[in-house]
Amino acid sequence: MPSVALSPVLEALRGNPDERPAVDLCAAAGLRARLESAARAVARTTPPRRVSATSLRARALTSAPVGATLRGLLVASALRLLAVGARPQPPGALLAAWRASEGDTPLALASDQLDADERARLESDVAAHVATLRARVGSVPAAWAPRTAVRAHQRLAGGDVVLSDVVDLMVGTTLGPSAAVSLLDVTTAPLGEDDERVARYHALVQTLRTATVPLRSAVLSTATGELWCLEVDAATLEHAVDDLIAVLEVPTLGRAA
Amino acid sequence: MTTLGHHRYSRHVLERLVESAPAPEGPLGAPERDALGARLAAVPTLEKRRVDAWLIERRAIASSAFAWSPARARRALGRGALRRLAADARLTPLAAVTEEVLDHLARAATGFVGSGTLAAYLAAVDDATRALCAAEAVTWATQTGEAAATLSHSWAIPPADPYYDVAGARTTLRGQRDLVVAVGAARVVVRVRAGAPGPRAGAGLRVDLLVDALADTAGTPAARLVGLWPEAGVALSVDGTLEDLRAGARAVVRAAVVSRRRSLQSA
Repeated sequence: MPSVALSPVLEALRGNPDERPAVDLCAAAGLRARLESAARAVARTTPPRRVSATSLRARALTSAPVGATLRGLLVASALRLLAVGARPQPPGALLAAWRASEGDTPLALASDQLDADERARLESDVAAHVATLRARVGSVPAAWAPRTAVRAHQRLAGGDVVLSDVVDLMVGTTLGPSAAVSLLDVTTAPLGEDDERVARYHALVQTLRTATVPLRSAVLSTATGELWCLEVDAATLEHAVDDLIAVLEVPTLGRAA
Repeated sequence: MTTLGHHRYSRHVLERLVESAPAPEGPLGAPERDALGARLAAVPTLEKRRVDAWLIERRAIASSAFAWSPARARRALGRGALRRLAADARLTPLAAVTEEVLDHLARAATGFVGSGTLAAYLAAVDDATRALCAAEAVTWATQTGEAAATLSHSWAIPPADPYYDVAGARTTLRGQRDLVVAVGAARVVVRVRAGAPGPRAGAGLRVDLLVDALADTAGTPAARLVGLWPEAGVALSVDGTLEDLRAGARAVVRAAVVSRRRSLQSA
């Protein structure tokens, strides 16, 4: 079978298959127990306290401008197209496809209000980020079973705390004897310390969701092309729990954490 | 007392739930069908009524008009793709979904498909939207296929969802099922759901159990119905006991009554 040259990002996600650790199917229970006791210590709130990857960023409480949010969503859509081997699409087509699938959410309605200048700026911005994405990720082998926009919801403390997450790209099987699942988060901002926390958060939520510890968790910046890739092990997951407990200990200002 | 069970998702949870499924209770006969029909007929309606688990879970609040989207296309495409994967192990989920999409497009090209069908939708949308549909379906088929691959029993993707028409009550009961696992002479039905289970998820599962039993020619209930929420990492199960079937029937009648009351209030 001819071997296909992998992009540096996919090489990093795959690593050396011969050196993969045995899959850990037991870590989730201990992590959940720690999180449950931390979540129970948090005052009861109605509606439940929601934590997402954004909550782990230092600027979590400032809402991003519509253009920046749309840029991130459209780049994530471009990654989805890349994962299924679809032809490259212009940003206008990505926006139309995203808009058609979104319904009448506040963000979708806000995207309708963009004037011609804002739309042109958004499209040129997205085109630049998608070019970096395509150059860095390349085509994902179908045999890796790529899953995109993989959502997760985990309830803690009887539903008082809800962890939600979306992993942009997940590859590898959960069924093998060795750890093989790699997670990729794509951000349109330059990488910072926050992104390391986000990569750990993705690994933690994925572990809680499937009871299977992933192999790697990575973050790719389409602003700089930089990739950070973490090997996921017990220490990484404990660190992720510490990050999350620190977030839960901060009193909320309003509904979202 | 009903048999609702809550389980955290793990690699072997589905296999354990299939292995531990009790023998189903006796089949639903004509008396049970007639009793349900009479109770539904006692709730008058001018329009054709459709009751499914989704309606029960939403406390009988009717959904807005259906419109296809990539998220709504994922189950239909994903099921077709999974059926192809089961028939040909050499296929990848992406190749199976691509074949499924092409099949729909070929059907649309014949001109003999309805305007509201998935085939018509896929033929009408642009390339980017069609690719998003494929991406959603690949994710669904991969997750469901991995769950099914842990089973030691033979399983199949049923060709269609079950439904049961109560003609005298102008009511159609609709169920959903994604995998049917053969356990000896009995069957375990698996339903894959998006999001996280809500407080009425158990009632929804019982309705699916009921419709599956009513749609069976012999009226035999499934030994167990498993609801799998991969996004939440949760599996709920109800057993095919008469008590659970009765609870499902009560939920259906209650939903019909509440819908009727709402329509009278809004008139």
